[in-house]
Amino acid sequence: MSKFRGAAAVVGIGQTPYYKRGTSPDPELKLALRAITAAAEDAGIDVRDIDGFVSYASERSDPAKLMPALGTRNLRFASLAWFHGGALPATLNLATGAILSGQAEIVAVYRSMAESSSQRLRVVVAQNDTSSQYLVNGLESPAQILALRAQRLMEHDGVPRSALWATVQASYHHARNNPHAYGRNTEMTEEIYENARLISEPYRLFDCSRENDGAACVLVVSAERARDLRQKPAYILSAPMGTMEGGGALEENWRPYYGTAGHKELAARMWAEAGYGPQDVDVAQVYMNMTSMGIGSMIDHGFFTTEEAGDFCRFENLIAPSGKLPINTSGGDLGEGFIHGMGLIPEAVRQIRGTSVNQVPGAKLSLVTGGPGDIVSSTGLLGSEETL
Amino acid sequence: MMAYSFLQHKIMGAIEADDEYWRWLEEGEFRLPRCASCQHWTWPAHFRCGRCGSWEFEWTAIAPEGRIFSWTRSWYAFDRVMERKKDVPYITIVTELPAAGGARVMGVLTGDTSNVRIGMAVRGTIQPPSAKTKFYPSVTWEIVR
Repeated sequence: MSKFRGAAAVVGIGQTPYYKRGTSPDPELKLALRAITAAAEDAGIDVRDIDGFVSYASERSDPAKLMPALGTRNLRFASLAWFHGGALPATLNLATGAILSGQAEIVAVYRSMAESSSQRLRVVVAQNDTSSQYLVNGLESPAQILALRAQRLMEHDGVPRSALWATVQASYHHARNNPHAYGRNTEMTEEIYENARLISEPYRLFDCSRENDGAACVLVVSAERARDLRQKPAYILSAPMGTMEGGGALEENWRPYYGTAGHKELAARMWAEAGYGPQDVDVAQVYMNMTSMGIGSMIDHGFFTTEEAGDFCRFENLIAPSGKLPINTSGGDLGEGFIHGMGLIPEAVRQIRGTSVNQVPGAKLSLVTGGPGDIVSSTGLLGSEETL
Repeated sequence: MMAYSFLQHKIMGAIEADDEYWRWLEEGEFRLPRCASCQHWTWPAHFRCGRCGSWEFEWTAIAPEGRIFSWTRSWYAFDRVMERKKDVPYITIVTELPAAGGARVMGVLTGDTSNVRIGMAVRGTIQPPSAKTKFYPSVTWEIVR
């Protein structure tokens, strides 16, 4: 049995509101402080006792800047998971590793962004590492690059457009019940979806994640400590990171899983470590930088095959409380808001606690996937005590 | 050496082992790197062959002929490729090159782009550096009708 499995748990959640991109009243460092202090309060932990800090991608609110304002007593562990949104669940991996090896006891996993502070899209998301092979040929945005993958998944592999629409429909349906969702009042019909402006074919506007300002944080502690705290723990069963051979920085030369998400090998490792499979999952927060990429991620996780995507991805299958696989129950990256995917972990935890606004009754196994199509990615499975 | 346009407008931050690709394009030749030891087409270009460990590559001329592996039509002038604002919408394709072990290169599709489909045969034309291509040379592709 893996030492990792169930060694740590998420015991606190903190989130700022989602602001329209570029309109946050606070700079991102203050947003990070708000999210971290809220998570400590939620957990019933003195914020000064947080001794580990983990974020991902190009987070700018580093612990050195945070600790004077948090009153940090002893910063013992600080780390950043590499690359972009793919690293989201990998943060839980780093936090668990730090706790398991005795390097830290209370780890804050967080992400903060405000476009006005950091020019997010230009510098932070792209990290200025886009190859000349793209830029010379008119490609720069993740939307365009992932559109190439989508076109292959749809035109060549046969995933129908209706599957993409179903994920949008489910996301906005869930967002409507979520008072924190930025897209809760956005009217969404198939006609609106299909007539929205084209971004990069096959993507139209509502195939794309929202891009907001905001911050979110979860607190991770050992399983032992988690049992004594006030919230129902969401145990981290597995959160592997990586990329299989044939992936990496290969400039559209990915083989063999070009059209999906690069999650196939990761998911296999996760199921093996967790001792569960796709049929056991109660609810999934699927990272949707773009609709088709989320579908690719679900294919890679084994929820359905490319051929089955059209049949599986129907509105009634994707919604709480009783769909086959309720996804993005807070509204997710499309409907709730997008701060590099970080809203997904808190919602995965709420499902275990039983406190989601779109609760799946008795949810015990809660999946959260990392940014699909990223050059390195990760995926994570959270479980209630009875899943250990 | 510094006479090459792309070197005077160097885009930094990625792997950056493809100078020879751009240099040959500026010379009017389409060449891709092949491992000098195991003959594997090492694309995108890198500094070491991950298959056999060799550090030597032969930049091998091939005909710019292939098939459309995927494509997208950009309907928006994205921030870092604003030079193409007037061309919106434009199509960028990923071309698979059978003559280079299935290596894939990117390029803009020109000419009659109606009914563009994956699998279509395309032929490339080498273009000199221009503002639109960030002063790099490029290959544009046309569907073989």
